[in-house]
Amino acid sequence: MSYSKEDLRDLYDGRLPWNKTFEIMSKPKDDDRFDKYVEILQERVSYTERILLPLGDHLNVVQKGGERIVKCDCGHEFGDWRQNWKLNALIFARDDTEKLEEVYPGLKCPDPNLCEVREFYCPGCGSLLMVEAVPVGYPLIFDALPDIDSFYREWLGRPLPDEKEFRDMTYQVTREWGRELE
Amino acid sequence: MSERKGIGEGGKTLKRMMEENERLYRETGCYAGITEPHLLKENPVKGELFHSRIMASLIAGRETTRMVSGSPFVREVAELCLGLYTPEGDNIAQSTGIQIHIKLMGDNIQWMINKNYEEEVGINDGDFFIANEPVISGMHAADVYDMLPIFWEGELIGWISTVIMEMDIGAVSPGLMPLANVERGTDGLKFCCERIGSNDRLNRDFEHKIEICLDMSDIFLLDRKGAIASNIRVREEIKRIIGEFGIEYYKRATRELIEEERRSQIVRIRQRMVPGRYRGVVPAEFPMADQPVAWLPAKRDTIRLIPIQMDVLPAGGLVLDFEGVGEWGWHPFNGTPQAVWGGVSIVTVQTLACDGRGNLGSLLPIEVKEPPIDSLLNPSQIKKLATSTPWAPLLDVFGMWTHLLGIAFYLRGFREETFNYRSSAGWQMAGYDQMGTKRPLMAAGTGYFGPGACGVCDGVDCGGWLATPEVDMGSAEVWELFVPHMEMSRRIDPYSVGYGRFRSGLAIPQVVMIHRSQQLVGSGIIGTASDGIIPNLGQFGGYPGGRRNTMLLRYDNLPELMEKRQPLLYEVGHPADLKDRFPGQVFDMGLLAVPTEIYEGDLLVSVSAAAGGLGDPIERDPALITADMDNGLTTEWQASSIYCVKTSYDEKAKQWKVDEAATKELRQSKRKERLARGVPAKDWWQKSRQRLMDRNLDGKILEMYQSSMRLSEAFTREFKDFWALPDDFNL
Repeated sequence: MSYSKEDLRDLYDGRLPWNKTFEIMSKPKDDDRFDKYVEILQERVSYTERILLPLGDHLNVVQKGGERIVKCDCGHEFGDWRQNWKLNALIFARDDTEKLEEVYPGLKCPDPNLCEVREFYCPGCGSLLMVEAVPVGYPLIFDALPDIDSFYREWLGRPLPDEKEFRDMTYQVTREWGRELE
Repeated sequence: MSERKGIGEGGKTLKRMMEENERLYRETGCYAGITEPHLLKENPVKGELFHSRIMASLIAGRETTRMVSGSPFVREVAELCLGLYTPEGDNIAQSTGIQIHIKLMGDNIQWMINKNYEEEVGINDGDFFIANEPVISGMHAADVYDMLPIFWEGELIGWISTVIMEMDIGAVSPGLMPLANVERGTDGLKFCCERIGSNDRLNRDFEHKIEICLDMSDIFLLDRKGAIASNIRVREEIKRIIGEFGIEYYKRATRELIEEERRSQIVRIRQRMVPGRYRGVVPAEFPMADQPVAWLPAKRDTIRLIPIQMDVLPAGGLVLDFEGVGEWGWHPFNGTPQAVWGGVSIVTVQTLACDGRGNLGSLLPIEVKEPPIDSLLNPSQIKKLATSTPWAPLLDVFGMWTHLLGIAFYLRGFREETFNYRSSAGWQMAGYDQMGTKRPLMAAGTGYFGPGACGVCDGVDCGGWLATPEVDMGSAEVWELFVPHMEMSRRIDPYSVGYGRFRSGLAIPQVVMIHRSQQLVGSGIIGTASDGIIPNLGQFGGYPGGRRNTMLLRYDNLPELMEKRQPLLYEVGHPADLKDRFPGQVFDMGLLAVPTEIYEGDLLVSVSAAAGGLGDPIERDPALITADMDNGLTTEWQASSIYCVKTSYDEKAKQWKVDEAATKELRQSKRKERLARGVPAKDWWQKSRQRLMDRNLDGKILEMYQSSMRLSEAFTREFKDFWALPDDFNL
């Protein structure tokens, strides 16, 4: 089972005719999807570093020298993929009725005493990368921390050179921020 | 001393068979110790035919129930499902329908085996057993399980079980799924795997009991007869299959179906996902302060965190962990570890295992870490508690798990598999119907909800609800016969949306007018625990849908409006000005409407909100926006304010048109605005941290964090690490 890159491009852009889209949805999955996916994304970004793993609509984990960093399509860099990239984004917190009602008018408005809607923008291009709706005071959610080395080594069967330890490094950043306040 | 001869294979007891089965799985990692499945592969055509015959019998059995039943829940919206089980209670195959119960029905069979029913109660050919006790296993008491053993030449070779959601279980008012209740006695009739029939006939004493105990005994008994008819039909078909394929083939092939599915599930995980850690959170709100409960300690509003972590293991398994979940409470929304497995079952068959071969094997590669004792998902006092609605927070939890699976599919390139689910809340009633009979009155179509956007297209409008893959609103005319109300409209609500490059599916609000009842009490029904905090279901820059609403609208002078033939309200319209537009009083009932007397002409309104959009809304194709506007699915305000598309209406062509130059400018301005109003994360972090240090949070939020911290050192440590809080700091 395999699909052409043209069909996959159109699928991702929402331009593939519905009968073909439905076929892709309902049939057994294609084994070469990941490689074609990465090739398609690589064609669309403004940088040349190799994409190791897509992380969202505009974000990818890329190999930059000996590091693996999160990078926006526009080229803006968000640091090591093991740190929550949101710590390097611009944040707009909808934390009062006025700001919430810009998106959720009247009856649709969450309770600002309980809920904060956080928008994460790319500092490079202003793309809206993620929206987070959580209780006030909840830590930033680290939605996805992929185990890239296990993925390449054990699932794709082609290990990456210079393997990295799989661990969450977000708190190194926040603890450092805390020390700066002391 | 020789072992007593049992009813299982080779004279073994069912308990011994179950223990052997578990041992073999532990020792080999393969179901029933089948390390080399061969039978189905040796003759794949025969194997496919075998599986198809079983599936056909289950689906036909389900339709049989629908023909016998008199309940709109069954006939209209198909709130039922059938499963075929091994002698040990392991699921082999399942019909379509509310597949959330497939593992739970097996749990009930295993409970009977563990309680030594074989010896102490007796399990005979033609016996019917009934269960609806979530303390054993289940989602809530309204879901009733009918179980029938299958014998072949004196040996128990399997079970068939049907689940039906009932319309009346004799609970405290409103009688079906009471929410103003906290103690187990208020839940209504509970059956703990009781024998209610033998020799293929319902016991007359059971029928007498139902006739006396339930307002809607006829519906309940017809449902039993429908379930019994389907169970017998499937049993007889299974016997025919055995007659054709042979008993040894049946025994081996049914077990190979489970092992084959276990292996397929691991392959699917490895093919479609990316190993790693995925996280989300569900804040569950329980507004009990104003509920009229007699157990006064229950009268408090609480919020409980349910953090969810999914680990996708390199070996191809999944682990779900709820570390950080808050404490149980005096309300009917506490879950159980078994109920959590119900959620795992229903999500699995709608995501990874959606090819019709889902069974226990789909679940074997998944581990659910036991939620902390005395948490919301594992209360040690469960036997004291009402269990009428554990699924309100659990539907949110598993809408979130669908979301996490979707992220993993997206990373791997299978964007077409990405979506998420959201449930809602509304009204139920108790009182007198049009015929003057007092009874529970709940109209419960399942097709009102807006699922999340897919990764390659918009979500399906009013097309998705987690609890069943087959959503259906049912016929308005049938509900109007059943409940004393008139449906004012069924119109898609553009404001229910979760915005995004691909938008969510949209929801349909319920707007009904009370008609021809002498006395009614309305109260809340909830399939979600989300109210003031909207769910975190936005995907990759898409927004989650907004708040959902339950409202009571009471006209000031309805007879005069009707006399003058003035239009009545039939849709909510813009959510900001309903109170200005409606000629009467608008009562916002919150998440859980307190019991309220309602009268002729009152409007009961339940407005759902959708799950999540996907991608940055200002990247949405303007052509999709104008197409939505032409169909009344997007408003001009949404087009300009959210999607940043300048449109105008072409009166001649009767179509909306895009001003491309103005749109480009609007979108560029939006990006500039974001860059200007967004602050570096570090600045936001410092401000938010100070607010925490000052404990400047709503009291319910503070108590929510304290509750999670009381149960989990790991949660406390991570919370303090993120905010760099001193070790001795306490919220």
